[in-house]
Amino acid sequence: MIDIFGASNVSNKQVDLYPYSYDMTENEPHMPDFVVIPENKEQVIELVKFCNKYLVPIVPYISGNNVGGLTIPDYGGIIVDFGKKMNKILHINENMMYALLEPGVTFGQLKKHLDENYPHLRYSYPNAPPYASVIGNALLSGMTNLATKIGSMGDAINGLEVITADGEIVRIGSCFYGKEDADVESWWGRGPIPDLVGLFINWQGMTGLITKASIQLWPNPPIKKPYLGIFFGLTDIAPFLREIGKAEIVDDVVAFSIEVAKMEVGIPEPTRYPEEPAFSAVISISAQTENMLKAKEEILHNIVAELNKKGTNIHLIDYNEFSKLFNLRARTIYELPAVILNLVEYSGLTWFGSYAPTHKFEELIEKCDLLFKKHNVPSYIMMKTLKNSHLGIFRPIFRFNKFTDQERMMKLVEEITDTCLKMGCIPYKTPSWMTAKMREQINDGWLNLFDKLKKCMDPNNIFNPGRWNT
Amino acid sequence: MTEIKIDDNLCGKKYLQMAFDHCIRCSTCKYSYKNFESMCPSGEKFLFESYWASGKIRTVRGLILGELEWNNDLKDAIFACPTCGACMDSCQAPHADYIVDIIEALREMAVQKIGPGPNQEKLLELTTNKEIYNPYGELHSTNENLKKMYELPDKAEWVYFIGCTSNYRQQKIRDATIRFLKRAGINFTLIDEHCCTSPLIRTGQIGCSKEFMEYNIAQIKNADASKVITSCAGCYRTFKKDFEKFGAKFDFEVYHTTELIKELLDSEKMKIKSEYNKTVTYHDPCHLGRHMRIYDIPREIYKQIPGLKLVEMKKNRNFAWCCGAGGGVKIGYPEWAVEISIERIKQAKETNATVLSSVCPFCITNLSNANDRFNGDLEILDLLEILDQLEIEFER
Repeated sequence: MIDIFGASNVSNKQVDLYPYSYDMTENEPHMPDFVVIPENKEQVIELVKFCNKYLVPIVPYISGNNVGGLTIPDYGGIIVDFGKKMNKILHINENMMYALLEPGVTFGQLKKHLDENYPHLRYSYPNAPPYASVIGNALLSGMTNLATKIGSMGDAINGLEVITADGEIVRIGSCFYGKEDADVESWWGRGPIPDLVGLFINWQGMTGLITKASIQLWPNPPIKKPYLGIFFGLTDIAPFLREIGKAEIVDDVVAFSIEVAKMEVGIPEPTRYPEEPAFSAVISISAQTENMLKAKEEILHNIVAELNKKGTNIHLIDYNEFSKLFNLRARTIYELPAVILNLVEYSGLTWFGSYAPTHKFEELIEKCDLLFKKHNVPSYIMMKTLKNSHLGIFRPIFRFNKFTDQERMMKLVEEITDTCLKMGCIPYKTPSWMTAKMREQINDGWLNLFDKLKKCMDPNNIFNPGRWNT
Repeated sequence: MTEIKIDDNLCGKKYLQMAFDHCIRCSTCKYSYKNFESMCPSGEKFLFESYWASGKIRTVRGLILGELEWNNDLKDAIFACPTCGACMDSCQAPHADYIVDIIEALREMAVQKIGPGPNQEKLLELTTNKEIYNPYGELHSTNENLKKMYELPDKAEWVYFIGCTSNYRQQKIRDATIRFLKRAGINFTLIDEHCCTSPLIRTGQIGCSKEFMEYNIAQIKNADASKVITSCAGCYRTFKKDFEKFGAKFDFEVYHTTELIKELLDSEKMKIKSEYNKTVTYHDPCHLGRHMRIYDIPREIYKQIPGLKLVEMKKNRNFAWCCGAGGGVKIGYPEWAVEISIERIKQAKETNATVLSSVCPFCITNLSNANDRFNGDLEILDLLEILDQLEIEFER
């Protein structure tokens, strides 16, 4: 390891390994045997060849914020910390609007770079800490504050540079031309070729190590206006999310149980009282001109009026005015990237983060709300729709004290998981205890193909073993 | 539920407890909040998670739960940190304000189990030596000679607590401060002071701290003083924060020199008559800035100096880059301490300032070392040294 990375970039001291043995979730900690900090792909190639020869597990790590235990080295081995040195923004292409990044680039870093150098372009940002990895998020199908408009970030990947298990370097996407390194101007698209990017998205580092990726950027419109939606009926949020997506007027809608809104203004363990609204939503609208904004606002108000005629009780408030009433905490949920304050108040955090059928939103809300009440935990449900409501996001989130409250909270997490899986939700960034439950319901053909692909891509099971119960 | 057992005799017990049900390791502590700039000298240098604030908090858990063994491999991860507190301003979690307290409590525990950080045992040996009482190993000065030289009384309204760095290394700051106080007509004296024990507290060697604090309190009382002023950010932080933490009670007011100067300027009892025609950039000492939240007072003083052009470094105020001297780093990791400071010199050079000024003798020492090493070609001056060059009219 020292030969490959240099002495200062390798450690097997227990104190250095220990912080990599756990994450914020309920998933069981496990110590790695080494941690290494690469600074170029040549080092990664050498590492993969070594590990494949001697059957040593490799676990890629950037900041460990995946909420799924995905960087916990369940079988020991080598943590490859990409976050510290392989974190360069290699190229921004203004014409075709993409960024070519190393895996360690964070949302905060990209935001700063674009704001300072390309203010007419924007990426999009999740409700994750600002130091989560842009590429990690995209590879795990995370979503951001343009989700209603553009969908999953997995769809925004233009191309990848990957080190496969035999140490070969592979370029996927429009960058595939050229025998040597690709021109930075050639990372503009993913097709029309067999979509090999799919061999790496959502595979949780089980099929290769990504050393570069190109992700799409979008124009940064000059006018932005956020609204706060207040939803009094328990399930009023569901038809709103479906209709607003179809109207193609918003960048994003992120809906939260009202308890979350209370947390954001400083109430740690809030209660929802009778007659209070059940949900709130931050609705982000952008426009090129004031007239365009007015048209979008008109459509938004019309949708709410139509829904209210049908029996919902929805109110719209100017979010900028709302946040002035409380404090700056309320703005963090809109001004991303930012750490969402209520998510860092305890020592533990987990979720059932899932893609969901939007026609089942009502049922999901009702059932999960009852489960939160049964366990005497404030309801924390986050919802969105992706790509103009083609599909939904349903995310019950759980904050807990790891040392005093994990056991109690996990009973709730398990019940919610079982309920949502039965209703067809598909979790992402999924921990292995959850994929085990999914496997019980997945058809055999899919499971066999999955196993064949994994064996083909990683015959010695060196890449993040244990994920998806491999 | 995992049982948490922490030694009741540890002064920092309550801070160690905080390490358990706080911190999800979100990494927000690593970079300046909303500005996304590198902030943490320790993490930036050593890179592994164990060197960032969240890693140190995790180390506390591992050691107390017995999942990590006490051995010398721990020392760098525990002691290679200037405790500058940049992580406190970046972190947005409820424990943010206590991260340095948690690190100091970890060090207290480490000193008992595996001994102090590299070379840091010298701080205790020298400070507790009855002929020395300072961490520099210089023969103890009762300050009687200074009192005679400056014709200072035995009893006065104010005590100027010089601090070891100004008294034994940066005498020019001490002398400029004394001359300023004389010119301003402040009724002050000096005491036979012992180290405030800031270097010991920062390095977890706290056994003698309360005794030293009580000694200094007694000396101040003997001088009949109701106010103490210091030109050292470290002493100031120790008097204002740590004395209470250690149960050393006092009823006098504590001033940093900048606070008195600001009062004199605001009340128009002090008017600066001559010009200082230089471009100056101000370095926020961690112990005055992030630890005590004093950012504007020094800046307002510089701005009132005629001719002086004050320019800001890119990293300033609560996100100022540390000089690298504090937290035992200067003695424990001397090369790295200067390396941190060289980064600050580079930031100062970017402003086109010719003077890098601060209000802490320890910062001045390390920045001067770095300036020499880097050939920074900057003048490194304490604010009091600048004022010492100027014609000032005081209303008596």
